[in-house]
This record gives sequence, C-alpha cells and structure tokens, in this order.
Amino acid sequence: MSTAEGYSRPIPLLAIVLVALAVHGPLLLMQLPAGSFDTNFHIFFASHYVHHWFDPWNEKWFAGFSQTTYPPLTHQWIALLSNVVGLKMGYMLVQLIAVLLLPVGVFRFARIWVDERAASYAALGSVFLGALAFLVYQAGQLATVASAALYLNALPYFYEWMTEASGRSLIKGIAISWTAAAAHHVTLIFGLVLFAGPVLWVACIDARDERVAASTTGALSRAIVFAIVVGLGVGAVLGPYWLSILQHPIHQVPIPHDSRANLLLNSITAVNYFVIPYGALILALPFILMRGASLRRLRPLLLGFWLTFIFGLGGTTPLPRWLLGRAYEILTFERFTFWATLMAMPIVGLLAADLLDRFRAKAAVGLSLAAVMTIGAALTWLTANPYRPAGSVNVDSVVAFLNRDGHDTYRYLTLGFGSELAKVSTYTNATSVDGDYNSARLLPEMTHYGAAQLTNAKFYGSAGMGALRGMLDHANRYGLKYIFVHDAYYEPLLTFVGWRKVDTFNNGEITAWSKDDVPPAHKIVSDAVPPAWQGLLWGTLPIGVSLLALFLELFLPGGRRMPVPVEISAPAEEHYVA
Amino acid sequence: MRFALPILLVAVTVGLIAAALFGVGQAGGTVGIAAGSALPGLTPNAGTPEQALANLFTDLQRRNWNRAFAALSKTSGVDEPSFIQDWAGANGSLRTFSNLEGYDSRPLHATSDDAQVRVRLHWATPVGPVEDVRDFHLTHEGDGWKVVWPKVEAPTVPAQVVPVTYLRWDLISGGAEDGWGSRNVDSPHVRIISMNAVESAEGSVVMGEVVNEDTIPAFVNVNAALVDGSGNAIDDESSFDKIAHVLLPKQVSPYRIDFPNINLKNVKNVRMDVKATLVPASADPVIGVMDQKLDPDVQGKSVLHGELLNQSGQTVNIPHVIASFYDSNGKVVWVADGYVDRSLLPQTSEPFAVEIPRTLAGKVQTFHVVVNQYSLGKS
Repeated sequence: MSTAEGYSRPIPLLAIVLVALAVHGPLLLMQLPAGSFDTNFHIFFASHYVHHWFDPWNEKWFAGFSQTTYPPLTHQWIALLSNVVGLKMGYMLVQLIAVLLLPVGVFRFARIWVDERAASYAALGSVFLGALAFLVYQAGQLATVASAALYLNALPYFYEWMTEASGRSLIKGIAISWTAAAAHHVTLIFGLVLFAGPVLWVACIDARDERVAASTTGALSRAIVFAIVVGLGVGAVLGPYWLSILQHPIHQVPIPHDSRANLLLNSITAVNYFVIPYGALILALPFILMRGASLRRLRPLLLGFWLTFIFGLGGTTPLPRWLLGRAYEILTFERFTFWATLMAMPIVGLLAADLLDRFRAKAAVGLSLAAVMTIGAALTWLTANPYRPAGSVNVDSVVAFLNRDGHDTYRYLTLGFGSELAKVSTYTNATSVDGDYNSARLLPEMTHYGAAQLTNAKFYGSAGMGALRGMLDHANRYGLKYIFVHDAYYEPLLTFVGWRKVDTFNNGEITAWSKDDVPPAHKIVSDAVPPAWQGLLWGTLPIGVSLLALFLELFLPGGRRMPVPVEISAPAEEHYVA
Repeated sequence: MRFALPILLVAVTVGLIAAALFGVGQAGGTVGIAAGSALPGLTPNAGTPEQALANLFTDLQRRNWNRAFAALSKTSGVDEPSFIQDWAGANGSLRTFSNLEGYDSRPLHATSDDAQVRVRLHWATPVGPVEDVRDFHLTHEGDGWKVVWPKVEAPTVPAQVVPVTYLRWDLISGGAEDGWGSRNVDSPHVRIISMNAVESAEGSVVMGEVVNEDTIPAFVNVNAALVDGSGNAIDDESSFDKIAHVLLPKQVSPYRIDFPNINLKNVKNVRMDVKATLVPASADPVIGVMDQKLDPDVQGKSVLHGELLNQSGQTVNIPHVIASFYDSNGKVVWVADGYVDRSLLPQTSEPFAVEIPRTLAGKVQTFHVVVNQYSLGKS
C-alpha cells in the first residue's frame, strides 16, 4: 500500500477499537474513575443486586427506597461481573465495554451521513472526546455513556429498516434500543428527538431523492412501526420504573446544579461545562456550521447538533427552560454536551478527511495533537477544577464501627463525605437516612428543601442546612444515632443541637458523633415498596434484552448497505501517508 | 441555504444568549463552591449605587478578594487584609463558616455624589440562616459608584496570664461500649419548672424552663407531644437548639419546641418528657452578660440587646444566646435565641441581639439570658 493510499483509505474499525482500548483501558484498569462523582453510586446499586437480584427495595438509603427508580442494566452487569472480579473492577469493566462500544456506534452512526473514510475518522476522534473523558473520569456517568453507545449502534438499523425494510435490521434495532433504554431512560427519551429525529429526516430525504429504494411514505410508516414496537418494549422492560414514577412523580423542590448556570457569568463553570468537554472541537464549530449547512443530507444532523448544543449550554440560553418546563430543574445538562459532540463527529470526520487531503502529514500531526490535547486537558482538569469531588476518604474505620457491637441497629449519617457516602453504604450493614440519588428521595425532610445529599448539605446553603436540621430534629423518629463528620463545618450545629463526639478515626480526619436518647431504628412504612412481580420483571427483562441484543448481533449477521452519500464525496487530488 | 442557515443559527444563538443575559434563564448554582468570574465585558458597570453593591457582593460571594477590594472607594479606611477579615471573619467565628446567600438593598438617601444604602444580608451558616442589616456608604468616583468601607477595629488582647478556678466534672465510663453517656449511674434529677403553649405565625410553640436539681451536670433534652381530643398524638418534636443541652448543677435553661403548621386549637393536651444523662462538663469558659436592655432597633423591631464578656482565658468561637421573656406574673411568654457571628476573644466583649415578636413586646416585663457556646476542638 502506498502512502497516498494510506491516507485515502478508511481506518479499520478494529484498529479504532484497539486505540480506544489502548487509551482508556489502562486508565480504567488503574481505576481512575473511582474518584468520580457517581462511580460509588453505581457500585452501591450494583452491590444491592449482588445480594437481592429480584428485590429492588433497598433499605440502606433514605430509610428505604426502590431501585426501580433507576434503570438497572449497567448495575446488573456489574453485579454479575463482581462475582469474578469484585465490584470496583466490575464497574471498570462495564465502563470499558461502554467506551469500546462508543467508537463502533459513532462509526455506524456516521455512516448514515458520510462515507466510510470520514466515518472512520469520526469514530477515531470519538475516542479522544473531552466530553467522554469528562463523563467517564469526572462525572462517573456510566449509564449515560453506555446508553449513548448502544443507541448509536441502534440508529443505523433504524435507518436500514426505514429505507430497506430489512426485517433483520428491525429486530436488531429494536433489541439494541430496548437495551439502551434498560441502561438509561433519559438518553432514550431525548435521543428519540435529538438523534432519531435527524435520522428519520435524512431517510425521508434519501427516499425522496431516490437514493434508496423506499418511498417517503414507506419510510415514515416503517418509522412509526419501529417507534411503536420500541415504545411498547421499553414500557415493558422498564415497567416498574414507569409505575414508580407514576406513583411518586418528582415533586421535590428543585435542586441547584451548576450545569444550569449561565456559563458566561462564571469562568470556572464555562471551563468545566464547555471548554473541557468540547476541547479542540471548539475550533471546528465554524466548519461544522458551514459544512453541515452546505449539504442537504447533513442539514438534519446540523440542526440536531445545534439543538443539542444549545441544551448543553444549560442556563446560558433560556431555550432549555422554555422547552423542558419543570423537567429543566430536574435534568443536568452536561450529558447534552456529550451528545452534541457525538452528533458533531460525522461532520468533524469530513473535516479531518479534507484536512488530510489538503495538508497530508501536517494535518495528521495537527489532528493527532488536537485529539490528544483534548483528552489530556480533560484528564488534567480532574485535579485542577474546583468542582472535583473531595479527596478520597478512607472509610474503612467508619464501616468497621457500624458493623460491630450492634451499631447497625441504628441509622447513621455522614457529613462532608461527598460521593464516599455510597462507599460506606456499600460495605456496611447499617442503614442511612441519606442517599446519593435525588429522584428516589421520599422523606419530607429532604424533598421540602432545594438540596441534594445531606452529606453535602453545606454546598446548598440554607436549603441544605435546613434539610439537615430537619433530619436532625427527627433523629429519634428515624433511629438516627450516629453521625460521621469529615468536615468541621458541621460541628457547631451538632454541638448546639445536642450531639456529642464519641470517637475519632484516621488520626482525627473523621469524627463520630452520637445522641444518647435515640431508640433503635424501625422499619419506615412506605407505599413505594415494589410488589414481588415487579422485582421479578426487574430482574429478568433488562438483562434479558441485553443478552438478546448480544445474541442477535453475534448470530444474526446482516450486510449493511449504507447509501453512498454522493453529495459528500470530494475528489482528492493526491494522497500521502504520514 | 449554504450561508443563510449558519447565519440564522448563529443569530438565533446570540439572541438566546442575550435573552438569558438580560435575566430570562438565570439559575442558581450551589453555594459552597465559590469561584470564577464573569467573562470580560459581562460585568455590569457600577452606574448606580445598587449596581455597585451588587458587583461587590458578587465578587465577595465568589471570594474574588482583589476585585472586591478594587471596587472600594479610595477614601475607605481599610487595607485589604482587614477588609477580608471583616467580611470573612476570623478566629473560627460563625462568620468564617458563613457564605453570603443573598441580600435585599434599600436606598436611604442619594445625591449625585454620594448615597446611603441599607442592605439586609442573608447568610448561610452551619446553624441555619442568619440575617444581618448593614448600612453602606457609597461615593461617585470617576465613571461609577464605589463603596466606602469603614475602618475596622479588630479587638486586641494584650499578653497576660489568666488564672482560672472553675468547677469541672469528669466522668469515668465503664468502657468503650458505654458510648459517651454513663449507663452505670442514676440519671441526674432534672425538672421542667414551667411550660406554656402558644400559637405563633408558623404554628404552635411549647416553651418554658428546665432546671438541673442535681449536684452533677446533666445533658438534657426536652420533648413534647401534642395530643388531640381523642387522645391521638398529632406531632412530637424536641427542643433542638432552643435549649442549653448541658446544664451544670442548679442551672436553669429556657427551652422552646416548635410545631410548624399545627393549629393550637386542635390540641387538647401536651405531653412533656425530659431526658437527662450524666455527662462530663466544666464551668469554663465563663461568659458574662452585660448591659441587657429591650429596645426597638432601626427597623422598629423589639430586640433584646446586650454585651457578652468572655471572662476566661480561651477563645469562644461561636456564642449562642438563649433568652426567656416573662410577663408581669413571671410566666414565660416567649423564648428566643440568636448566634453571635464574631468570636469572643479572652477578656473581650461582643454585642448580641435577640429579636422578639412585635405582638409580645408589650407583655414582656423581665428576661433571663443563658449563654451556650461552641469552641473549636472542645465538643
């Protein structure tokens, strides 16, 4: 193969996956995400499935809550893998699988829009996305990444089904869509509009232009069939989730989140939620706009990207608030930025192809540097940003205290532990009134205040401290006897409301506080306990559809004949190899 | 379409951003993470006294000390370290734990050259929301308004030896299993000496006084349950932070138990329950309450003013004042509390203020003040 051919050929998908493995594999095996915001939360959920696969009622948080409030697929896979490698490494492996699936999904999604060469560049670029590194290593949003990767893999089947009426594509697309929903519901709901909308639109364009065999009416009718079957399946697979959300809609006071802030009014927020996730893609924005607008087939993708981009800006524009209404106060918006970067990748793949055609080795070096600097900046930001999770706390002594001498007959609270709260909860037998999942909270002491976890109460100002005061005021009601403090900020309150320091751990880093007249904890009656049949569904359908999708992908091969996007093909004058 | 669509998308984006900047889509962030500043050119000019104060408070909330100090008038009698200490507190005081959460400002007077603005500052603190009213003087300098920060008089404590002869009760517990309270000896004898249930704006309130009649210190918690006509409990609450939990022998403390959203008319009976446990305690630090008087403040509210004098040799980081107010018959008609946001250095005094409802001001004849305290490392 000559150097010229080397530049003009697409990069093999296997090579791209190996690059993803080479970049993210070591970082995940080093357990870099262990300090992220949500990793311990996911491990906590998984630990429950290890012991209670068919019983989603978990007593360890909020004096009892249902895990049917969060799609279970990633947690159940961690639970399965944990039997071999342990919980933490199980998490890392599931995250690694999601990260490896992502470039595959980007490649296949990009093939709807651009030729194979540009799609391969898009897939390679997705490995180095700042938004991906942000979600994996800083936010720990396992489910969002996994669901997006699955969803991107489902969309080409959706397109094929619409344009070719391929039964195999229908079956595979449906199975992967169900799996994506079982991983994360929010991705599916918004993906329907932001990702599937442009795909539907381009299928109609292709049908009208006779680029594919289907008619516009046929494409539309098949889209409806696909949507109905996926909708019914998602309704069943996540049935207990929908029932729980219908029974207890989220009526709690909105909790502030910095992704909803106006990025222009706070430079640190802007760096955290815009500069780091987009990285070098910021330089490509003008090209994305111009190239996306210049080709008719790319316009649906451009508009989808633009809408997602605007949503990712959070409170920088009023559009998300206008369109989402009350849901605006529940969602966080960094995931939209991630989706926007994924939607931009096909056009960025075109940019890479153009640059390589024009500047050859210089372009290869420049693009490589841009990619490496983007992910490098995101990894550097892990230690440089003021939003990073508090340094890791050794909670072994707290766990040991709770698990001995009958201390687990009472409930406990941690203060100043950040995401380590979930780690304590994972390994102790004792139960807590706090928890790290806002949507599952039903205790009035928490839902009446605009604050998230009690362990982070101070970060929510008067609302957070109000919630904490409310809970301390009702300590006897909940059997709340022990409080572990990792931040002296809370000590004055505990002193004035009648708690006394009883022990110190880790050379004084953590103090244990107790209240003497607290009775042992008793079961709090709740109408949110799912019946046994829901537990059975929850334990079988989500994992079942993922196994079905895996089976179909492996044993039901089908040739994919993506349309050649003739408008996009640009003649290359000369080709060189780096 | 090749150029029209990008131009349209950019124009709509800019329009949406402008709409948000002019107040449509603002959303609060978390309070404790304070960093960053607006991008250049997006901080409004201090064209009015209120805007100058708003800019100053934004910088202070984000702890951009240099920018905040630069916004002060040159006529301010304060250097930057003193300014920071005045705002952020020192010596482990309540202010050092506090964050400015919001404020309301009201101009008192304004001319073209200077203005006086009264600001009600809303602080988020570990002990709950605290309000502070402060008057700011501003002058017009150059093309904008600047805040004149008054000279700060920090208390100075001369080097000295302070002899102490206070009582202290130590406790030898039976072992690690006993926790902090003693379970092997009788509980201290503690008695509720008065109780009064009243209706307030927020619901019902049960209050009174409790005394430690024993010769050993006691850790005290007062609980109350409201019972309706059919004998069912309506709600039960505890004295929480409206009590001095550690009572030395013969010491009396007020208590107040709030029942939010409970109408007193539905209550037929109140079940009181006082729990006491033997605890180690000491009479140090000794804090004197001086110059107490009940006066209206600048806003016309009835406020009990006074001075706390730290008579011992250690710093009291957060003083907490609890006052019971009596009518002419000696009945407790209200219990109120307040935190002092500056620490009490040894042998120095700090003012305190406790507000009482306007409707009760006329009934109050006498009052009794108890001082509770938090000292770093001595919980």
